[in-house]
Amino acid sequence: MLRFLVSLGLGALLGLGVGLYLGWVQFPLEYINSPISALDPKYRDEYTVMVAQGFQDDADSVAAIQRLRVLGIENVPEYVFGQAERYITNSRSPVEIQALIALSEGLGRTSPLFEPYRPPVGSTP
Amino acid sequence: MSTPEASARPPRSSRYYRPRRPISLAVLVFGLVLGIAGGLYVAWVVAPVEEVDTAPWQLNRQGQADYVAAVMLAYGHDSDLSRAVTRLLELRIAGDPIQYVAELACDLARTGTVAEPGGDRAIRAMMTFYQLQGRTGCADQLMPAAPVPSVTPNLAIAATPTLPPPPTKTPTPDGFSEGPTATPTVRVAPTVAPQQAFVIVRLERFCDADFPALIEVYVQQTGGAPLPGQRVRARWSDGESVFVTGVKPGRGADFADFEMSPDLAYTVDMPGLSDPSEPVVSAGCIDAAGRQTRASYRVVFRPAF
Repeated sequence: MLRFLVSLGLGALLGLGVGLYLGWVQFPLEYINSPISALDPKYRDEYTVMVAQGFQDDADSVAAIQRLRVLGIENVPEYVFGQAERYITNSRSPVEIQALIALSEGLGRTSPLFEPYRPPVGSTP
Repeated sequence: MSTPEASARPPRSSRYYRPRRPISLAVLVFGLVLGIAGGLYVAWVVAPVEEVDTAPWQLNRQGQADYVAAVMLAYGHDSDLSRAVTRLLELRIAGDPIQYVAELACDLARTGTVAEPGGDRAIRAMMTFYQLQGRTGCADQLMPAAPVPSVTPNLAIAATPTLPPPPTKTPTPDGFSEGPTATPTVRVAPTVAPQQAFVIVRLERFCDADFPALIEVYVQQTGGAPLPGQRVRARWSDGESVFVTGVKPGRGADFADFEMSPDLAYTVDMPGLSDPSEPVVSAGCIDAAGRQTRASYRVVFRPAF
């Protein structure tokens, strides 16, 4: 009987380890039907930039806020402002920075950091 | 020749003569199978990995629609087809991703998305995208034609020829005489507006047929004392209106209101002093007395500090 229990326990322990490895590492559960608020930060940033580029065309701040609120953001102006500053700090694409600046300022938040990225006065967008 | 006793004895190679292993291989395998099953149950059901890095293909239908709308807005801005298609491929759509956009536009045009802030524009951006790639969808019939901006004839006014101006008598600087020096261009860094001087401490929806489709705004001091003469702004998709607290007789020095149009989304802020509110829409509702009316909102601003 002892031989049976030792064998079963040892096998179960080994199997548990293998099962956890398979379930957590090798074949982890992949979620589908997730809300957009669960997007990876990389895609959230990209989504925000795309919304900002849309804002550059229509200057519709209400629509921009509505589009960004689906990300589950409480304070949209603060979020956009923060991303614009982060993009400037990280030397991201000037085109993307300009879009974020336009949206941030459209929502009422500006910064001296934005100045070098503004298009020169008189230039067409 | 062997005796009967000797033939009854098991041969030397029999397992009855081998020492027993301390572990039974069959039971070990059985336990292993049980353990793997248990481990998978724990890893997939009891304590699955947390969802932290959701990719676009994992989004639900609404999330994918929001994502595609953003991709189309970006495409409308930069006309970068390759980039737009690459982003669509992130959705791992089975089949033609451009046709998927056409079908999505169709779905959105059938639902109330058109009435949402920016919904009409998102659908039209999708339509532009798939139409340029030679696809069609039911949105082509469902969406009314976009207003075509009227072209104002460019009336060229014939310039009256004028004589060149006579030379002035301003002496040409010789570079040595003392004179006024050019003023250096001063670059003034913009100052940060005093944002967040006020915050919205309350934003509530209410339904009262006596006060339909209103945005009632109160601007107060920290303790609740009224602040008259404060500018408040309501913004919608293509316009804005600024109004002032304390000018409505009988409604308090901190009060101001604004009448909303049906099904139009508004944000409310204090220009330069606060962040905008979340969008509010005056939809139909039934008040406490059972009367059909449209919803109103009450917004209270107070100093942030």
